Amino acid sequence: MTAIPRRLVRNRFALPAALLGAVALSALLSLGSGASGAGAAAKGTHSGTGRSSSPTTTVPRRTPGAANFVNTKPKVTATASACTRDAQRIGYKSPRNSGSPQNSTYRVCSHGQVLRYGDKYVVYERPPKSYVAQGHKLFEENCSSCHYPTAQGSALAPSLRGVGPATVDFWVTTGRMPAATPLQIQAEDKPPRLTDKQAAEVAAWINSLTPSAPYIPVVNVKRANLTDGASLFALDCASCHTITGAGDALAYGTYSPTLHLATPQQVAEAVRTGPGNMPRFTGNLSDKQVADVVAYVTQKIKHPNDAGGFGLGGVGPVTEGFVALLFGVGGLMLVGFWIGDRSS
Amino acid sequence: MSDEEVHVTGDLGDTRSDGPGATSGDGESGGSGVSRGTGPGGTTGGRPIATLPAARLDDPHMQASARYPRRVEGIIVVFFLLGIAGIAAFGVAYIENASTQVYAVTLFVGLFCLGFGITAWGKYLMPQGPFVEDRHPLASSDEQRAAMAAALVERTGVVVKRRKVLGGLFLGGMGIFGVVAAFPLIRSLGPRPGSNLFTTHWKRGTPLVDQTGKLVHRTDMQVGGVLTVFPKGWQTTTTAQAKDQVVLIRVQPTRLTTRKGRGTWSPDGYVAYSKVCTHLGCPVGLYEQQLELLVCPCHQSMFDVRDGCQVVFGPAPRPLPQLPLRVDSTGYLRAQGPFDQAIGPGFWERTTTGNGPASRTEKPT
Amino acid sequence: MAVSTDGRARTRREAKEALGPFGRVQQAVNELDERIGIAKGGRVLLDKIFPDHWSFMLGEIALYSFVVLVATGIFLTLYYVPSSTAVVYHGAYRPLDGLHMSEAYASTVNLSFAVRAGLLMRQIHHWGADVFVGSIVVHMARIFFTGAFRKPRELNWTIGITLLILAIFNGFIGYSLPDDLISGTGIRIAYSILLSIPFVGSYLAFFLFGGPYPGGIILERFYIIHVLILPLIIIGLIGAHLGLLVRQKHTQFPGRGRSEHNVVGSPLYPTFTAKTTGFLLMISGVLGILGGYAQINPIWQFGPYQPPKISYAVQPDWYMGWLDGALRIMPAWQWTGWGHTIPWEVFLPAVIFPGLIFNICIVWPMIERHFTKDVALHNLLDRPRDRPKRTAAGAAMIALLFTVFGASSTDVLANYFHLSLNTVLWFFRIAVVAAPIITAFVTWRICIEMRRVPGAVQRKRAVIISRTAEGEYVSAPAAERPGDEHRELEPEPVPVRIQLEPDGDEYREPATVLTGEPGVRRVRR
Repeated sequence: MTAIPRRLVRNRFALPAALLGAVALSALLSLGSGASGAGAAAKGTHSGTGRSSSPTTTVPRRTPGAANFVNTKPKVTATASACTRDAQRIGYKSPRNSGSPQNSTYRVCSHGQVLRYGDKYVVYERPPKSYVAQGHKLFEENCSSCHYPTAQGSALAPSLRGVGPATVDFWVTTGRMPAATPLQIQAEDKPPRLTDKQAAEVAAWINSLTPSAPYIPVVNVKRANLTDGASLFALDCASCHTITGAGDALAYGTYSPTLHLATPQQVAEAVRTGPGNMPRFTGNLSDKQVADVVAYVTQKIKHPNDAGGFGLGGVGPVTEGFVALLFGVGGLMLVGFWIGDRSS
Repeated sequence: MSDEEVHVTGDLGDTRSDGPGATSGDGESGGSGVSRGTGPGGTTGGRPIATLPAARLDDPHMQASARYPRRVEGIIVVFFLLGIAGIAAFGVAYIENASTQVYAVTLFVGLFCLGFGITAWGKYLMPQGPFVEDRHPLASSDEQRAAMAAALVERTGVVVKRRKVLGGLFLGGMGIFGVVAAFPLIRSLGPRPGSNLFTTHWKRGTPLVDQTGKLVHRTDMQVGGVLTVFPKGWQTTTTAQAKDQVVLIRVQPTRLTTRKGRGTWSPDGYVAYSKVCTHLGCPVGLYEQQLELLVCPCHQSMFDVRDGCQVVFGPAPRPLPQLPLRVDSTGYLRAQGPFDQAIGPGFWERTTTGNGPASRTEKPT
Repeated sequence: MAVSTDGRARTRREAKEALGPFGRVQQAVNELDERIGIAKGGRVLLDKIFPDHWSFMLGEIALYSFVVLVATGIFLTLYYVPSSTAVVYHGAYRPLDGLHMSEAYASTVNLSFAVRAGLLMRQIHHWGADVFVGSIVVHMARIFFTGAFRKPRELNWTIGITLLILAIFNGFIGYSLPDDLISGTGIRIAYSILLSIPFVGSYLAFFLFGGPYPGGIILERFYIIHVLILPLIIIGLIGAHLGLLVRQKHTQFPGRGRSEHNVVGSPLYPTFTAKTTGFLLMISGVLGILGGYAQINPIWQFGPYQPPKISYAVQPDWYMGWLDGALRIMPAWQWTGWGHTIPWEVFLPAVIFPGLIFNICIVWPMIERHFTKDVALHNLLDRPRDRPKRTAAGAAMIALLFTVFGASSTDVLANYFHLSLNTVLWFFRIAVVAAPIITAFVTWRICIEMRRVPGAVQRKRAVIISRTAEGEYVSAPAAERPGDEHRELEPEPVPVRIQLEPDGDEYREPATVLTGEPGVRRVRR
């Protein structure tokens, strides 16, 4: 064992390189652990909001990593307390929830209003104020007949007050809204009537009535971990959407749709807002986990590795059995029909 | 008919005779005359050749069934060449590490064409026949049958008649051996179930954690949220995961129907049920939040989450056992105790329970 | 030419002549015959007649797909690791990189991506298994509907049903070996089915799995059952099945020259050998193309099995689908009392129902003998229409199994046809009772109708009515269409020798090929 240190010392470059490497490694490790620790459970130190309990474990507050992630610098930063008050008003009721302004590592505020929040995995953005007027027009034309002109709902459709921009954006960009038949148990996804920008406009108007979270998520899939995404998908998503994301029928005429048409934004919106019968994943999934799932869906669900040939719909043994019996056994029976005689 | 015949020195041997009813091998066989010509003859210095009647090539039974055999032959040549090319291509593809699809196509072309060729040869070019073979009765004569039965019965009778004790003891020995031989074959395979099917690792005060080991706080989930949770410390072993897994759901507290004796089991609208389906044990991960229904993905049993997971549809016979929850002083969710009954599918020893503490907790090892 | 005086051949020609007219082959036959005595029996074997009807080819599909299974299976055993030990995957498929999984799953992913032609072999093996069981079922249906199970072939029928059961079990165990998410769920269901057996269920389950679920040894046990125990039994039974077939000879349809006391067809050598070898190659080819172009069981997309995870739309492979369907439509009846439970909702559809079906199949020859009082030997086959009740019973059984099989894809059907899942399930609950009854009645009526009309489903011959000058009408059947004349020659025994050299000097193509000499006819296909 003395050969290695001897070689290390003799080579004039080896020892400094090794020392540098050790320093760099320890720096990386410390940074990494800090990041994961902060993201998991951010501490709230807000005053007087009516929450009955708060976690007593203190987590070091992380310096906002805005400069690492967002290209444009925030325009106006209000005082921390003013921004915080608004964040509380519009956010989920607890500081542990991910996808809410309170526990996000970074917030951008303007005039006491939260413009965007998030972390290096997902950034939630509010549609610009300029969208509100147009959004009102679009809402009146497309939505008010069922949801009532003030978005308070009717016998045909629920109230949209306080649902948050992400909810509205999801339903409209997937084409589910405007619904073809309002009294269906589940609105179908179809080619959307409004463009993405128009959807954001409608979301802006609805949000202006009752500001609410979550905002429209923008996912940074580059930092996502595909393996974690696969594992999370199998645990949380596959039981409805199937492991290949093909979708299937659920109870009483409801169904889980195919994921092959979903954009990253729609996946994140669906996970955070729980549209329709889909459960809502808030504090039970961190932003990193959401990014992992989004990356997995947009990469491996939408573009599966079909190394074995035609995917046969990804529904598994049902189609496989059909092919085996029809083409396999049936085809071979045809060959046998050629080989043998027919009786006279 | 026969100009030259070889005279045999040994057994004439009609090799087709194998019992009564067989046709003889000479020219008087049934049907249209198969003309028997001669074969090249001549005695040799070695074994003498038997007289073997021969069929002529222009016999109708010897003809190919194809109308134009030469044409068919040409087609078969093409298929054989394709087949050879295909197999060779497969070899090349293998050397070049081609894709699965290239392997398949070359293998298919090669094998199928070769097979098609040789089948076509057999079907269209070989003698069409049809040929006949006689069935000889399988049954032996009555004397032979009687002789066999007699041998079995009477010989055994003679032996055993004089030595009854030996016979009985031997049979007894074989019987015991047969029974005992099953012991190591079956019993050594695994342990007895004991109380394992009745117990889980959930006990009073066990904290809930998700699959990563993170504790679950009361503020973590909104109404409509779902999470798979485990008892703290047991989330990594598959054996524990298999029976301890719990599905945690948050519903509106006002929409819960509290069952008798379970009033304190659902703080803040959090309800926890065993994730192991009572039908066949699949994890019941499919939650529809508006219908407030847990649907088992395997055979579509539907459980009503608001009402103690009563079965509303499907083949499951019992509701999912509920885990009583409480919130501790720091806001984290904990179990009040074990499940209200044994989890999972039914088995013979399973007792019927209502709301009682029939499920016991495993002793910590 | 005489041989030299001392008996030894001096020249090449003498040596050739010494061998006799059949050359070295005669020599080889002589050597083997002196040691084993093959000449007499072998000669008979070469003449073995195989009837040529196309429906007799179905058993061959099963046999040769089994050959393909063994061949590809041996390849797979060289790479698959039957171990439940957890490993961390670092291989070619990125979304699994760093994931904990069993060594069995990791080796299967490795086989699919890192072993040359590994994915091809895996898929051929899996398609082969599906086709194997499918062809057994089709072959069994042919045997049933033509009455080939009657005396003396009841034993062969029983062996065949046993082969079907073993093939189904082996297939289930085989696709559970990769330990992926979907097949792992199937193993969990198998465990629960074992549990449901009264009195001994929990013991059986704990014994087989080596403890509580998942146990940690089931993959190793499944492996040895799949590659050793069941294949040995299957190979043995196939040998017995074919041996009985050779001994009892194949059945045949009635026809010209065919009787209960003979077999008419083509001889084993060379005609049948050529056709069957070709069929083996073609079956391998078809399985090969399926194995490369139709993806089956892409386990890398499913991920490794973990007990809390599950996918939707999980059906077992098609030959287990009827059990899955039975489990879905069964109402939730359980019996509880005196401190015990009998879970009928599992025990009935998963244990009693298949047991009943297989037992009915096995004792069917006895059932039919009881009702028809027919104990004679049968070597000629029935046309299905000639036995309406048997055909109707078989059709009812097929309808029942098909409905139950369809019931296993309730969710997929509901999704595809945009129906409510609950409605689809209730449809199958009713259909499973109604379909066999309706099918039986309709089949029975069709058989009777077809029997009434001679020449049913055959092309009708036109009748030409001509009017003579006197006003008389004369009818006469029209000429036969060119393709319709099907005249077979009278069956002949297989010739012992074929005269290769003609009489005379030069070889001529037999004149009977192209000319229409009487007495020589082409057999139309």
